[in-house]
Amino acid sequence: MLAAGMMCCAAATAQSRGALRLNEVMVENTAEGIADEYGAHHGWIEIFNTNFAPIEISSIYLTNDSTNPTKYPVPLGDVNTRMPKRQHVIFFTDGEPNKGTFHTNFVLTPGADNWIGIYDADGRTLIDEIIVPAALTAGQSYARSEDGKGEWAVRTGGADDYITPSSANVINDTNQKIQDFAERDANGFGMTIMAMCIVFSALLVLCLCFYGIGKINSAMSRVNKARAHGHEAPQLKTIKEVGHDTGEEIAAIAMALEQHFNAHDAESTVLTINKVRRAYSPWSSKIYNMREVPSRK
Amino acid sequence: MDFGDFLLKNLRQFWELTGFANAEWGNIIMLAVGLFFIWLAIKKNFEPMLLVPIGFGILIGNVPFNTEAGLEIGIYEQGSVLNILYNGVSAGWYPPLIFLGIGAMTDFSALIANPKLMLIGAAAQFGIFGAYMVALAIGFAPDQAGAIAIIGGADGPTAIFLSSKLAPNLMGAIAVSAYSYMALVPVIQPPLMRLFTTKKERLIKMKPARAVSQNEKIIFPIVGMLLTCFVVPSGLPLLGMLFFGNLLRECGVTTRLAKTASNALTDIVTILLGMTVGASTQASQFLTPQTIFIFFLGFMAFVIASSSGVLFVKLFNLVLPKDKKINPLIGNAGVSAVPMSARISNNLGLEYDPSNYLLMHAMGPNVAGVIGSAVAAGVLLGFLA
Repeated sequence: MLAAGMMCCAAATAQSRGALRLNEVMVENTAEGIADEYGAHHGWIEIFNTNFAPIEISSIYLTNDSTNPTKYPVPLGDVNTRMPKRQHVIFFTDGEPNKGTFHTNFVLTPGADNWIGIYDADGRTLIDEIIVPAALTAGQSYARSEDGKGEWAVRTGGADDYITPSSANVINDTNQKIQDFAERDANGFGMTIMAMCIVFSALLVLCLCFYGIGKINSAMSRVNKARAHGHEAPQLKTIKEVGHDTGEEIAAIAMALEQHFNAHDAESTVLTINKVRRAYSPWSSKIYNMREVPSRK
Repeated sequence: MDFGDFLLKNLRQFWELTGFANAEWGNIIMLAVGLFFIWLAIKKNFEPMLLVPIGFGILIGNVPFNTEAGLEIGIYEQGSVLNILYNGVSAGWYPPLIFLGIGAMTDFSALIANPKLMLIGAAAQFGIFGAYMVALAIGFAPDQAGAIAIIGGADGPTAIFLSSKLAPNLMGAIAVSAYSYMALVPVIQPPLMRLFTTKKERLIKMKPARAVSQNEKIIFPIVGMLLTCFVVPSGLPLLGMLFFGNLLRECGVTTRLAKTASNALTDIVTILLGMTVGASTQASQFLTPQTIFIFFLGFMAFVIASSSGVLFVKLFNLVLPKDKKINPLIGNAGVSAVPMSARISNNLGLEYDPSNYLLMHAMGPNVAGVIGSAVAAGVLLGFLA
């Protein structure tokens, strides 16, 4: 069980790291671009956590060499390597890993195709890869159209194709879904129709399902009762009435039997059922409220 | 500084920390509201299990104090005890636990025996979406309108769950409104039921439900969870826990777990939920014009939900054979409010025919309403989150 548990944990960890995605890359940074904590402007690689749960990225590998998957291991022991849900982190490709966790030991090459890969902690499982085209010039980035998904495209830093290091590739200032409802369904009629249809469908399916289950159950019940009475399956149709044993019928049969056999002596026909009341409660019990009488032994 | 000045300075500082020095009219009004809730619960017996914790929570939440003193005692101050307890509301994990208990308490036999009653539970959810339209017309944004409209589901945990996701800033008002109207179900529903039914309809006698086998009771939570959650996965926390609790109850081999879920666990979570919801109604957060609108919309939602349940039964009767007609007095039970609305159906039925017991028939749409409101919450969450 312990081994199975450990395997499950390992699988879960691997699965969660599998949610990491290369999200945006800048090969050659400029003075206008983002600076690292030392004020230097180096190329960078942005990674996005597509999960709705945090992911620990220490011990994964970043590389620009497909023959050397374990080129840059993300160091252990840094609290910042725990990526929050749906968040980004950037690594500066300055070839100076001694500057900190988020500085790789390799440099991307301007004017050439740059292959970049993320490998899991085993150094063999490729999580994500991308080839950044040689055509990318200084100050341009290569980014997905949306965080963690969509097509890759060159971004020049203009108003429509902005560069977004360490933030969402599409910047939304409103919730698009709510905006759509506000604009296209201002009176709520559409929502009402859709939602009521869904609620009715869900309960209608459940209703039909339990009609079916009820029918099957009563059929099975009839079969069992017939067998208990020693009838064969083909005779079932003729003994259909066996299934009708409602409370009223049972009560009527019981009364009829009682009258028929008249088993008792003459008694009044009034049946009184009294609730038995238990007046005792530990709260009113003397033994919980009074000390035991001291006795000399 | 001599000793006397020292004492005076400290006493002055202490005075500035007291509730008397920090009291505002808002606090006094909210304290009165809290006392009114407690009075309703104790003297009028209106949902005492809910209104006592909420009422006392309102008192706790509205004792004035100096918020700048850094005492870390307020419910909205991170790290305070109340804030930690409030996490179950703000992160939305109390409601699924309550649903676990509801599932473990609820006997779905009436519904299984007569599955068509589920449709009444679905029809009553129109209250939610009717209120959604009214909320939009008043000027609320769609996500806020959805959170407010769920009051029409007459289900406190569902209302808290959805508002914590869609409109956390309105949650206090929504929760208090939902529980207040649930307590007022005996006042709101009977006039509507009388208004929309004729005397002849009120006298309809329904056939006793068939006996339901143990197998059907076990299959119901499993199939129910799978079907409803496949349609509305966003309702999974509520529906999953509801049906899980019911399986614990019905499977016959987890009696201890079912007892714990339906008694101790539900009681503990109800205490914490009620108290923290009450405490979240701090005057500064609660006494706003929006709260008045929310209470108005909550009332609208209850009225529409109860009416649509009754009217749906009347409509449904047009297509049902004569011997299978449904008494429209059970239509109101399509809103959740278990078991209060079913009791109202029964009481009203007995008022017109002392031999017409509708309680078990009304429990069908009543528990269907619980499922329906959780599905509706899932739909709103799916569309608007």
